[in-house]
Amino acid sequence: MFKKILIANRGEIAIRIMRACKELGIKTVAVYSEADKNALHVQHADESVLLGESAPKESYLNTEKIIQAAKQTSAEAIHPGYGFLSENANFAEAIEENGLVFIGPPVSAIRAMGDKAESKIMMKKAGVPTVPGYEVLESEDDFKKAAMEIGYPVLIKASAGGGGKGMRVVEEEADLPEAIQGAGREALNSFGNDRLLIEKYLPNAHHVEFQVFGDTHGHLMHLFERECSVQRRHQKIIEETPSPLLTQGLREQMGEAAVKAARAVNYFNAGTIEFIVDPDTLKFYFLEMNTRLQVEHPVTELTTGLDLVQWQIRVAAGEHFPYQQEQLTQHGHAIECRIYAEDPANGFLPSTGKLLQYIEPRGPGIRVDSGFRAGDEVTHFYDPLLAKLIVHAENRETAIQKMQAALREFIVHGVVTNIDFMQAVLAHHDFVQGKVSTRWVETKFNWVSLSEPPFEPLIAAALADLTIVNRKSSTVNSNMPDPYNPWKNPSGFRV
Amino acid sequence: MVERKQSKPPPIKSTLVTRRLDTLLRGYSTNGLPVKLNFDHNSQSFPIDLTPNGSGKSYRATVGDQIVDVEIIRAESGILELLIDGERVTAYVSSENTERWVTIHGQTFVLTKQSGARKGVHGHHHTVGELTAPMPGQVRAVNVSEGDAVTKGQTLMVLEAMKMEIRIQSRMDGVVKSLTVKAGQTVEREQILVEIVDTLES
Repeated sequence: MFKKILIANRGEIAIRIMRACKELGIKTVAVYSEADKNALHVQHADESVLLGESAPKESYLNTEKIIQAAKQTSAEAIHPGYGFLSENANFAEAIEENGLVFIGPPVSAIRAMGDKAESKIMMKKAGVPTVPGYEVLESEDDFKKAAMEIGYPVLIKASAGGGGKGMRVVEEEADLPEAIQGAGREALNSFGNDRLLIEKYLPNAHHVEFQVFGDTHGHLMHLFERECSVQRRHQKIIEETPSPLLTQGLREQMGEAAVKAARAVNYFNAGTIEFIVDPDTLKFYFLEMNTRLQVEHPVTELTTGLDLVQWQIRVAAGEHFPYQQEQLTQHGHAIECRIYAEDPANGFLPSTGKLLQYIEPRGPGIRVDSGFRAGDEVTHFYDPLLAKLIVHAENRETAIQKMQAALREFIVHGVVTNIDFMQAVLAHHDFVQGKVSTRWVETKFNWVSLSEPPFEPLIAAALADLTIVNRKSSTVNSNMPDPYNPWKNPSGFRV
Repeated sequence: MVERKQSKPPPIKSTLVTRRLDTLLRGYSTNGLPVKLNFDHNSQSFPIDLTPNGSGKSYRATVGDQIVDVEIIRAESGILELLIDGERVTAYVSSENTERWVTIHGQTFVLTKQSGARKGVHGHHHTVGELTAPMPGQVRAVNVSEGDAVTKGQTLMVLEAMKMEIRIQSRMDGVVKSLTVKAGQTVEREQILVEIVDTLES
């Protein structure tokens, strides 16, 4: 087993990985940027190395500096977390060339799955169902013919794409030329590659993904699904398992297909096969593979009882993954809400500022993976994810109730969050019935924030102005000792 | 829509808290005058009047056409426990400059306090650089002189009110144009203490 691991990430995921390391008795090295000098993830580590300026390319995206930091601290392995360099094959390769271990899949698998068109061709060969469409097209006429054959609406998307960039829905032929040009331009700007593919567009599709996991000895299996259909700007905001859409039969079929897909690229470590499912036909199609740990991995951890990050480290060190597919079951239901510093009433634009109050909910079945504390600054440099709130309960209904109660206890002041928005989604009958598609937030869910505050907040604000002084420095932290505890009172007063 | 805890609040156990509140609120109960404040929410203005009742811990609040009785059970940094028309409400409140963040029943509101008192109440308007006493008290220390250059956030003077120190900090970079109080002087709420002007404009 490794003695020391460098975590090439920040925020909640860096802390999550450090916790796993500590439990395994492994020393941790944090890397950080100027903006993160006082960040929580730096405090959690045994050692830390300043990478450079706040801009990601000077810090968390800088392969050279990260490898240098690992060598300097004698770390033996690097965990990339998610985002940043986690799916960068060159980064993984550079780590291995420097005699260090990349905690993740084989470089070849990252490369193979990095291109949407190529991975789709590979999946077709492997017998994994893919969305009807064509990958290698040149002229506008080729696209027109392809679209005719598939039937409108169609989706044009960048082969090298991700995050919704270089993607266009086309309803009719007249709009096709413009969509091809627009998507191509966007793809070229974002990914330096303007290759496009065309496929059938499924407007009501659900996003259902399967966690796969394998060791370096050829043992590969799936750890069930996650339903991630609640999305805004093509990004997931609520994830849960089991999926309310899947039947046991469909679950088994999709699980088998997921393992088949991963096996086609000789996969090991943690990965995710994303599918879209047509809720009307219950047909499923391979979308893409994420060759890393997923943001939403905790819902799988809570229902399977496995510590995915610990196992990532253990199989990277060469250990066997000891379970068989039949031995694994899911217990209860888990839901994750991503708490973002963003304003749902303003196009989900990120909100920056200082956390004046930050109090996380607690209680049985409640897990909070976070990277912030009261007093911290939320900057514009990085992803505005504040925390992941995850609950685990007997079934979906009780999990929703637990999430609603937990969200009510989550206090964040200083930046606008999506907490109220989450409450509205959880209470919506479409969500309660599990009938949310990936475009639901954009097209069906009409959320407006309260235009007029009720009188209670006004009264509280007015009274606070009269009673609470020295406000500028008043930040409240959930980790501070209970201010009401009479035993800790510094005065001579005794109870 | 808004849920409330139905249970009766427990009696106040800590005499410390009670004592502190009495001290805190004496400034308002003695003169018996209503406190008038104005908050903006989504560009709309919401006036609120608080009229102290005899004891100094309870108020009659007027918000629009609603009149409710409010009692403060506990006031700590960032948290207020209130009885609003007999029902217990926990409010998390944070302030930064004129922004007030309030969470009640899990819902968060961002309110903007209009500077100083409401128009017409005290008969004067404050400019951005004017800093006034947030509550009655005594000037403990004055750290600047007229003509001094100051930076945003710099502590210009310290007031002592009800055994607590209140730092008066500049809201902008600039120069001290006028200083209207001296150390040791007693000031009233809303009294102008110091005026800062933008260096570029002067």
